[in-house]
Amino acid sequence: MKSGRFGAWLAMAIGALYFLAPLIATFEFSLRMRRGEYSFDAYRVVLGSSAFHDSFLYSTVLGAVTIVVGLLVVVPTAYWVHLRLPKLRGVVEFITLLPLVIPAIVLVFGYIKLYGSSSILPLTTTSLGADALLMFGYVGLGLPYIYRSVETALRAIDVRTLTEAAESQGAGIWTILFHVILPNIRSGILSGAFLTFAIVIGEFTFASLLDRPAFGPYLQLIGANRAYEPSALAIIAFALTWACMGLIQLFGSGIRLSADKR
Amino acid sequence: MMSKTNLQQSLKVWASVAAMALAVGAAPALAAPPDDLIAAAKKEGQLTVIALPRDWCGYGPMIDSFKAKYGLAVNELNPDAGSGDEVEAIKANKDNKGPQAPDVIDVGLSFGPSAKKDGLLAPYKVSTWDSIPATAKDADGYWVGDYYGVLSFAVNADIIKTIPTDWSDLLKPDYKAGVALAGDPRVSNQATMGVYAAGLASGETDAAKAAAKGLEFFADLNKKGNFVPVIGKAASIAQGTTPILVFWDYNALGARDTLKGNPKLEVVVPKSGVVAGVYVQAISAYAPHPSAAKLWLEYLYSDEGQLAWLKGYCHPIRFNNLVETKKVPADLLSALPPAEGYAKAKFPSLDEQAAAKDVIAKQWDAVVGATVAK
Amino acid sequence: MTTTAAAQSTRALRLPNLAAWLGVAPFFIFAVMFLLLPTASLLVGAFQDHDGAFTLANLGRLWQPSIRLSYLLSIEVSVASAFFGALIGLALAIAALRGGLPAWVRPTLMTFSGVASNFAGVPLAFAFMATLGRLGFVTVLLRSIGFDIYVAGFNLFTFTGLTLTYLYFQIPLMVLVVAPAIDGLRAEWSEAAEILGAGRLQYWRMIVMPILWPSVLGASLLLFANAFGAIATAYALTGSFLNIVPILLYAQIRGDVLHDPNLGYALALGMLLITGLSNLAYLYLRARSDRWLK
Repeated sequence: MKSGRFGAWLAMAIGALYFLAPLIATFEFSLRMRRGEYSFDAYRVVLGSSAFHDSFLYSTVLGAVTIVVGLLVVVPTAYWVHLRLPKLRGVVEFITLLPLVIPAIVLVFGYIKLYGSSSILPLTTTSLGADALLMFGYVGLGLPYIYRSVETALRAIDVRTLTEAAESQGAGIWTILFHVILPNIRSGILSGAFLTFAIVIGEFTFASLLDRPAFGPYLQLIGANRAYEPSALAIIAFALTWACMGLIQLFGSGIRLSADKR
Repeated sequence: MMSKTNLQQSLKVWASVAAMALAVGAAPALAAPPDDLIAAAKKEGQLTVIALPRDWCGYGPMIDSFKAKYGLAVNELNPDAGSGDEVEAIKANKDNKGPQAPDVIDVGLSFGPSAKKDGLLAPYKVSTWDSIPATAKDADGYWVGDYYGVLSFAVNADIIKTIPTDWSDLLKPDYKAGVALAGDPRVSNQATMGVYAAGLASGETDAAKAAAKGLEFFADLNKKGNFVPVIGKAASIAQGTTPILVFWDYNALGARDTLKGNPKLEVVVPKSGVVAGVYVQAISAYAPHPSAAKLWLEYLYSDEGQLAWLKGYCHPIRFNNLVETKKVPADLLSALPPAEGYAKAKFPSLDEQAAAKDVIAKQWDAVVGATVAK
Repeated sequence: MTTTAAAQSTRALRLPNLAAWLGVAPFFIFAVMFLLLPTASLLVGAFQDHDGAFTLANLGRLWQPSIRLSYLLSIEVSVASAFFGALIGLALAIAALRGGLPAWVRPTLMTFSGVASNFAGVPLAFAFMATLGRLGFVTVLLRSIGFDIYVAGFNLFTFTGLTLTYLYFQIPLMVLVVAPAIDGLRAEWSEAAEILGAGRLQYWRMIVMPILWPSVLGASLLLFANAFGAIATAYALTGSFLNIVPILLYAQIRGDVLHDPNLGYALALGMLLITGLSNLAYLYLRARSDRWLK
């Protein structure tokens, strides 16, 4: 067992080195804004801009909504495919892989064509409509990750037995899904939520072409012409997103606690 | 190494421009936009622009003063868009009048005629139309040249000790892993013109042959290890991965201002192979706010607008007219690189640009690129 | 008592199929409205020429040597980063979740992986330039102790460099997606194996691997598709050098120079086809391993 732990620590150490080195390099560069000495000037510039606050807030809220809608779409589907409709698995999985290979620009142009001002469902003309369209686009982008994580988690538990046990106690479908299955696939849900949130925060093409004030376009704007601010921004975004992940993690552990209480 | 025909061609351009300027020197350059246009624009309330980075040609202050002057809101779409993106945005939003649809576009010269052919543009002749050189506008008013600049070297003077003065210098061993383009030559106008300029520096004047020579130059640059295949920006110049960047002069000068001496940036117009790039303005045929679009054009081509571009280091298309009528403040003139560099500038015609782009975009991978460099 | 239980179970058996179809309906409605229809409405352009007339010429042009080569290169980069990403990601996940490490390691790794999985595009490319570029942090550090990686033949702007950069988001993706499967490994199994006399290696090889295998396979497919569709990082790092399909696509649809959107859509169709084929391969392998497990 001891050798196992040493191996584990070694793996973590090498991993940490690989992942931290680029972050350290970026951080070091961001400190160079003032000639000849290290300073936090670049950070001051970034944190002082209202565009930064507004766009980050917008993307954070949008990310939270995307996660909820995404889970509502994916979890029942993964559950039913696993339990009752295994023949659909191939089709469903292929669909979930599509967002990875369809270029974002093709999707967005498709949205503008189908939901533009002269269509049956003119979502682009109102602020809320465009926000909704963007959110659905993001659910699409997060789909592969949410589905794969939830599906992996479902495989790891005995869905059939859990369902039958709950049914024999008289539980209806909603109870089964939310109070029996969900707490047991918590890690899958969390993984999916993390991945989706990260995507939403950094996403550029959709937000830009749909003309929404998200964080991605702001990042792109700063990166285009500035030298040191983009690096500072990358570090800040990384730190803030990590903090949000921590919050999601805390929230996620809340699900288990409430299930335990029952 | 300007060949005779090239010099003659440049001189012809400048001569026609000068002739125009003299002919219309008396014309009222301060033609104000008609009041009913202003009223119509105000009724529309908004203008949607695309691909106008705030640090490019001083667009930031220009948009702000336009907003202040006419009380219109300006919706700035995707500042990082390329000319192709802008045309695609018009096409994608044909039936959409929402805020995602651009009213006006600012694209590379070759995109003007092609967008006109595709029926994507609406004609409009600004009140200062006559003072714009005939070679830089569409006769029917579908598109009009707005500004130009020449390709220069933006050099990180903290890392590069001997500043290169010409294309041939770049091949020297002093510049190992030093030279980059500001785009992908298969995609970006700026990068393609860079390759073309390198070819012109060899003395070749035929566009397709110059493009081929340019490709050879970059292949050589790459073999010597001097070429960095990264798309350069202000950040990469400062960090050191692309210490010499082939950049439009206005971008280089803008970067110099942004970096504020950290690092020190030198902007060098090469001694030979000086290529000028003209950009054109056009109004979308599907513009949700056509009057606002026309008002924007009026503003851009007024003295105020043209000088604002000059402040952003871009040579406005009415530059010679303004110089003739002594409208350019001395301090603006002195902030620009020396005029001799511009005197030799080659303004490639539409056909020449098309020929050069064709060669470069199709053969870059084969001649220069690494298909699988493990 | 038995009749009510029987009645309950038949009721439970009857409703679920309708409930199942209703349950998957939101997914399919969503997919049609926001994935399939928008894509189809644009990709029909793959079969059109500049003026809108039907043509198969674009598809024919996909067979050009330069485009074939770029598909090949895309596949190579995707396979390389998926393979190593899966391997290293699996190792890290097992180390963090089963390696007997302190409790804080798991949530830290998970949340960090969440952020890192999407740290891509220009910021990632720049970060690697700032780390392993000629004037990068690590390069300079190593040079100061006498080891110059560039002299040794390393170059960030190559296939190897690009794969190394891709791993930054591939490994965390693997960690996150495979974690639930590792969680599913019951402690009882390792104990039972020990009791029956199996060594640690045998436990891993004969019990854990077969159980994890389908999930590892599914995750690897995800990593492959993830890399296959990735453009921002490649473009930012090796923009004009490595000719992968998304860059080509981008050049046709968005570029200033080439600008043939119909060819761009044909390229996209090609990518969808390849993804579909890899998905079929995965399904086949999964079916085989499921049969084995039974």
